[in-house]
Amino acid sequence: MIEFQGVTFVHQNGVKALDGVTLKVEAGETVALVGENGAGKTTLVKHVTGLLKPTTGKVIVDGHDTKQTSTASLSRKVGVAFQNPDHQLFSESVEEEMSFALRNFGFSPELVRKRVDWGLGLFGLDEYRKSSPLVLSGGEKKRLTLACILAWDPDVVILDEPTVGQDSIQKEKLAGTIKMLRSAGKTVVVVSHDIEFLWPIQPRVVVMKSGRVVGDGPAALVMQDETLLASARVAQPQLVELYRGLSERPPGPFVDALDARRWFEERMKR
Amino acid sequence: MMWLSGGFVFRRGDSPYHRLDPRVKLLISALMFVSTLLVRSFYELLAVIAVMVAVAAVATVLKRVGRTMVLTATFSAFIFVINIVFTRNLESSVLYAVRFVAIVVSTSLFFITTSPDELEQVMKTFRLPRDVVFAFVTAVRFIPVMMLDTIQIMDAQKSRGLELEKGNIFRRVRNMIPVLIPLVVNSVVRSGELAEAMESRAYGAVPRPTSLVQYKSSVTDKVVALAALALFIAGAYSFYYILPVQLP
Ligand SMILES: Nc1ncnc2c1ncn2[C@@H]1O[C@H](COP(=O)(O)OP(=O)(O)OP(=O)(O)O)[C@@H](O)[C@H]1O
Ligand SMILES: [Mg+2]
Repeated sequence: MIEFQGVTFVHQNGVKALDGVTLKVEAGETVALVGENGAGKTTLVKHVTGLLKPTTGKVIVDGHDTKQTSTASLSRKVGVAFQNPDHQLFSESVEEEMSFALRNFGFSPELVRKRVDWGLGLFGLDEYRKSSPLVLSGGEKKRLTLACILAWDPDVVILDEPTVGQDSIQKEKLAGTIKMLRSAGKTVVVVSHDIEFLWPIQPRVVVMKSGRVVGDGPAALVMQDETLLASARVAQPQLVELYRGLSERPPGPFVDALDARRWFEERMKR
Repeated sequence: MMWLSGGFVFRRGDSPYHRLDPRVKLLISALMFVSTLLVRSFYELLAVIAVMVAVAAVATVLKRVGRTMVLTATFSAFIFVINIVFTRNLESSVLYAVRFVAIVVSTSLFFITTSPDELEQVMKTFRLPRDVVFAFVTAVRFIPVMMLDTIQIMDAQKSRGLELEKGNIFRRVRNMIPVLIPLVVNSVVRSGELAEAMESRAYGAVPRPTSLVQYKSSVTDKVVALAALALFIAGAYSFYYILPVQLP
């Protein structure tokens, strides 16, 4: 679905933000992209929809080289929700904000209405339908930008720091949404520093450092590699730490608190 | 946008010119600016531009200045066309058009080699009110930030299917709305937040806050300043009294 072939990208000011990235994401995969600030995660994401073109190397999305395809047509397939909501909200009302992309892609009026209703419901924004997106709270703005992207049902969904400013309930809901996308067969890429949020989703984890991919594998494996995590300044999920501290333990780390609790209760009985 | 960022935004540099006292850099740019206004023929103007290019070379910003010249020349084309239509005088039209480029370059040379901090010091030596200095320097400092913002906003909207380069001129102007609104809103919000953050860090609490930087002109600074003045006077003298005057 998405393929990076030896991609290097140098910013105008000479900063090398990507340094020989080779990465393949298959359709239907759920990938978490982690790594310290400035590792190049956002730069990588911008390459997927052709907002940035590789200095050297190639990016292939759904069989098309991004150098030969427009961002608008790539975006129909790949929806990217960027880090900062203040960089995109501009409409009179939340409703209109959501329909912007749908109109750009030429959806029919009924379909636009249907998708807007669906998105507002999913992200609990129904009551703000008529209010200005600019007066929403930080967390609500963020959620609106996610709704705006999911509204046009792209095959690939990329979320850059989706949990920033979200309370615990909203985070849980968001994790639920990501799992829902996964079962709908979507390809999902989540960029996040929030390891505790990512862990229960059990994605494939790609670790970046100084523009390079330094680790790649299932969450359960990558998250146990302490040297790797330390070098990329990524925290280890608490459940993994707990698991590794146990003298007697199950075959793999606990996926969530419930999982851990069940195991302990099981042992108490014995 | 490109023009503004290339021509007026300071980027750190390490040439002897960058290290000059900012007041000397201001003097040099001011002299070059005045020279472009004093010249009366295209050839004299070329001499002034040659000096600017030399300064740019010393400051290792030739490439940027070159780009600024090319971009400014596109504006100049208008000046040239308007002049030639109204005056029907080729030489004076060329002079006005090229003079505009020279004026931009002389100003640009000061801004791209002087950091906002130095700018602040220069303004302080003129004893301008502190709030005025602060407002001006902050504005200068935020230009690059706004440009980064613009790129980010354009990226976000393009990802939502906005096509900026499509359609006729009216369509294109309308396409800018999703970019301009977040840009303006962000700037307004940011300035409000900046003011609050400054006040919560006691801006304006005492009339004379501590100043950490004291500029003292070195010998080099003085020599360079004198040399610049001498060159200016010599140039003006020879153009006016020695060389044949070519009125446009
Ligand atoms: N527009 C730009 N111009 C110049 N350099 C940039 C630009 N955008 C990013 N960079 C640089 O590229 C590098 C990678 O930035 P990027 O935004 O991809 O990091 P990131 O991994 O997303 O970080 P974060 O976790 O903070 O979001 C950084 O060193 C940054 O300073
Ligand atoms: Mg980022």
